Amino acid sequence: MARMKFICDAERCIECNGCVTACKNENEVPWGVNRRRVVTINDGVIGAEKSISVACMHCADAPCMAVCPVDCFYRTDEGVVLHNKDTCIGCAYCSYACPFGAPQFPSQGTFGLRGKMDKCTFCSGGPEANGSVAEFEKYGRNRLAEGKLPLCAELCSTKALIGGDGDVIADVFRTRVVKRQANGKNAGADVFGWATAYGKPSTAPATDKPATGNKS
Amino acid sequence: MKSLIRLVALVCTSALALTACGDGNPVAGSKRADVAPYMGADNGFVVKGWKPGDQQSWTEEIKKRNQNQSEYSRIK
Repeated sequence: MARMKFICDAERCIECNGCVTACKNENEVPWGVNRRRVVTINDGVIGAEKSISVACMHCADAPCMAVCPVDCFYRTDEGVVLHNKDTCIGCAYCSYACPFGAPQFPSQGTFGLRGKMDKCTFCSGGPEANGSVAEFEKYGRNRLAEGKLPLCAELCSTKALIGGDGDVIADVFRTRVVKRQANGKNAGADVFGWATAYGKPSTAPATDKPATGNKS
Repeated sequence: MKSLIRLVALVCTSALALTACGDGNPVAGSKRADVAPYMGADNGFVVKGWKPGDQQSWTEEIKKRNQNQSEYSRIK
């Protein structure tokens, strides 16, 4: 079974915001909500400016799921973290818990009413029937059920943002890193957010060597 | 006899009052079951090349589409 993930290659992202626009349009995301956004660090510093496209990382041990008081989140067999808007009470606990700022709230409610939480669905809708109008109106398109991948990743012009089966996209990214390394360029092997979302890789393998150093 | 009636009335009243402190029946279906994506979508946008309902063909289609994101495999 495929386990869906996103990778953003900071060596390739050119901050065009095409992914943000594509997501807004494809899912008819409400005013005031950006399910995906591009973050730039070291703005204007030549050689050090990097951009990354950030959305829900569909964490393996999602903090939003852990804190939700009404338990509206669920994880699909494909590893996509989704939520049920019929259960959501708009308390925003998930927004405070998420390290990526993924859960957002529409801002057009009367008297500042927060409304139901909205977040990236990995273009796989919600609990309603796949591809139904009800599903589209609440969660946006269900591209996975149409045999497609999230539009943000599929249309990225530089292919900085790649999304899909974790094993496959990790291979795609690894190939790039190896090529860049071979060409004497910055390898850019750091994958933003993966350690936070899926846990750090296991520590160095145990060796038979005894520990060295003085013991106090 | 009167005290017995009072005692029974007190027990019944207490039992009735304490029911408010108990947990109600859990709302069934707070986590709604979702249909797997390999079952296909009920609209006209499903791509050709895989069979809705067949998990294996869906997985292969997704993996094939994944490769479109790698120019190293596209230009081969």
